[in-house]
Amino acid sequence: MRFDLSVLVPHLGFLASGAMLTAAVCGLALVGSVVLGMAVAIARTSSGGWARRAAYAYVDLFRNVPFIVQLFFFYYGLPEIGIYIDAFTTGVIALSIAGGAYASDAIRAGILAIDNGILEAAEVSGLSKRVTFTRIVLPIALRTSVRPLGSVLINMILTSSILSTITLNELTGQAKIVASDTFRPFEVYFVLLVVYAALTYLVSIGIALLHRRLNRDLMGQVS
Amino acid sequence: MLNVENVRKTFGAVTVLDGVNLTVKPGEVVSVLGSSGSGKSTLIRCINGLERLDGGRITVDGFDVSRPKELAEARKRSGTVFQLFNLYPHMTALRNITLAPIEVLKRPKAEAEAEGRALLASVGLEDRADAYPAQLSGGQRQRVGICRALAMKPSYLLLDEVTSALDPEMTAEVLNILAKLAGNGTTMVFVTHEIEFARQISDRIVFLEKGVLLVDLPTRDFFAQDGGLAQPRVAQFLSKMRKD
Amino acid sequence: MRFTQFTPYDLVLLAQGLGVTVGLFLLTSLIGLLAGTVLGVVRYYRVPGLTQAVTFVTELLKNSPVLVQLFLVFFGFPAFFHLNVGPVQAAVITLSANTAAFVYVIAVSAIESIGRDQVEAARVFGLSRWQVLRHVIAPQAAAFSIGPLTALLVNQLQVTSLISVIGVMDLAKIGATLNLRTLKPFIVWSVVGLLYYLAAKLVAGVGARIEHRLRAHSAFRGL
Ligand SMILES: Nc1ncnc2c1ncn2[C@@H]1O[C@H](COP(=O)(O)OP(=O)(O)OP(=O)(O)O)[C@@H](O)[C@H]1O
Ligand SMILES: [Mg+2]
Repeated sequence: MRFDLSVLVPHLGFLASGAMLTAAVCGLALVGSVVLGMAVAIARTSSGGWARRAAYAYVDLFRNVPFIVQLFFFYYGLPEIGIYIDAFTTGVIALSIAGGAYASDAIRAGILAIDNGILEAAEVSGLSKRVTFTRIVLPIALRTSVRPLGSVLINMILTSSILSTITLNELTGQAKIVASDTFRPFEVYFVLLVVYAALTYLVSIGIALLHRRLNRDLMGQVS
Repeated sequence: MLNVENVRKTFGAVTVLDGVNLTVKPGEVVSVLGSSGSGKSTLIRCINGLERLDGGRITVDGFDVSRPKELAEARKRSGTVFQLFNLYPHMTALRNITLAPIEVLKRPKAEAEAEGRALLASVGLEDRADAYPAQLSGGQRQRVGICRALAMKPSYLLLDEVTSALDPEMTAEVLNILAKLAGNGTTMVFVTHEIEFARQISDRIVFLEKGVLLVDLPTRDFFAQDGGLAQPRVAQFLSKMRKD
Repeated sequence: MRFTQFTPYDLVLLAQGLGVTVGLFLLTSLIGLLAGTVLGVVRYYRVPGLTQAVTFVTELLKNSPVLVQLFLVFFGFPAFFHLNVGPVQAAVITLSANTAAFVYVIAVSAIESIGRDQVEAARVFGLSRWQVLRHVIAPQAAAFSIGPLTALLVNQLQVTSLISVIGVMDLAKIGATLNLRTLKPFIVWSVVGLLYYLAAKLVAGVGARIEHRLRAHSAFRGL
């Protein structure tokens, strides 16, 4: 058989709509996991014993159970307790929770890396714990963890392909349809592979730029 | 009045401050000398509440730093300038200065910024208000650090070796500003290795040795043969510092 | 016939699924470790052209979803190459290649961490290429890479769950079967998740033990 990509041309718009859905899911889940990751990172760096333990248990659990199992747990489980949400919302929630476990690690490392002298300066000038945290600790930690959070996003883009198993027609889901319509699975999945790789490559470039931009004023104090 | 009464501080088995007494009256400039490890930084950190005392008492205008309820008031009355500046790296020079006035003293933003700019102008940095710490030289950073402390209008300025991370030229920049502050009546507790400068601006000089406050004399007496120099440790310290 | 209740036989099913998961994990890890290491060593000897090709393929495999890789092999290969590829074969091919890609990267950085001067010194003492590889490079590279390898394998164990999507009767697929039959998603996916979790902890534990041993031997290098 000849390797013929032209069979895909009529389906490009269809695939693009899937890509848009992937972008939407990942964008929302990124926000979700950074928010969750921040909360968990705070709990993990706090002195409260039970909050710390609970946060650790969450990270440990969701990093050691396959995403597809987590996804099915929510997708089939939530209706069981009377919560009916669509595949899109389920996907965003599941990705946020799984991503949050990784994001919390990145943010926690950012918090722990903050120079103690800076915190002492805030303390002696009378800033409350809350203000110190929201105005100094978090902004610095988020800046320094741009790169690791970028890795979380890239992983999330790759993981989002699994959402095709709960009938969500994001990029991989659409590609499955095109593959069975054209009887050209090899071409379709090969192109899909390259598209994902290109996508994550572009995202990694964007992250490097963002990191440079956000940290240009921090140079010298943060490597 | 800043009162340090019989303060003791230990780290594990090591006694770092051993029965230190010190009084600083409004308008006074008191320099703290002593060799490395004698406890100078620890004394400053006890005064601004960064270290917990193991004995004795410190009050700032009557507020006891060991009482959690009074610590905030005590801290409002003292300002600290750090050896390594400790500026907030993600904030501009101006934001570094206005953050605490706005958040702690609840000053209106516009007022705080106007005062911040005036402070920057007074240290020759009027055009660097929007620069980030990384874009400033060491001397400039420390001048911002001084402004940040002054913005809270403290009764007492605590300075811990604020020029020891700077090269001679930058040191001169910063010392000029401190001399100006001393001249217009700012109360200072000044930990330093700059003996000559301390001699010029101080009303009193105290000498710490292994956590004990050995000497507490008016500046002129401290450098007199029958005053501070009569203490062998002080004489030794001064001759060593002058040689370096 | 339709059971909606759990039966004791379900435990046997779960055990079988776990066996398939662990078996395929061990097999593909072994192949991946060997292939990745060989590629890393080949790169060390600077075979012209090969390095670029290997780097390109490994980057593609690392930066695209494993699910898409599985689809390419399972649906694409039969259509394009007119091969007969069953689910288990597709799983073995894909997981091995994917693991190899990550192992390759770890192997390359491990070998590079040793430094050519050390190797040249050994050559000066009259050691053959093979002896240098065995006695100088291998032990140090192993100590260097055991940490990253453990993290990789814990991750790859979870990745195996994706083969359930192409019909391999692994632990996740058994979970899906039980889920459909009993309609008790919370119990089913909790049990399946727990089994994966325990398996992941086991892999991490074994990795930590090996690391401990290797480090004891190379402690003088401060590794
Ligand atoms: N957090 C700490 N834990 C344990 N020991 C400490 C701590 N902080 C200070 N010390 C010890 O207390 C002693 C006094 O330290 P301090 O920093 O006050 O000295 P210093 O007079 O400021 O010295 P230098 O001139 O070098 O700055 C030193 O022996 C130091 O090692
Ligand atoms: Mg000191």
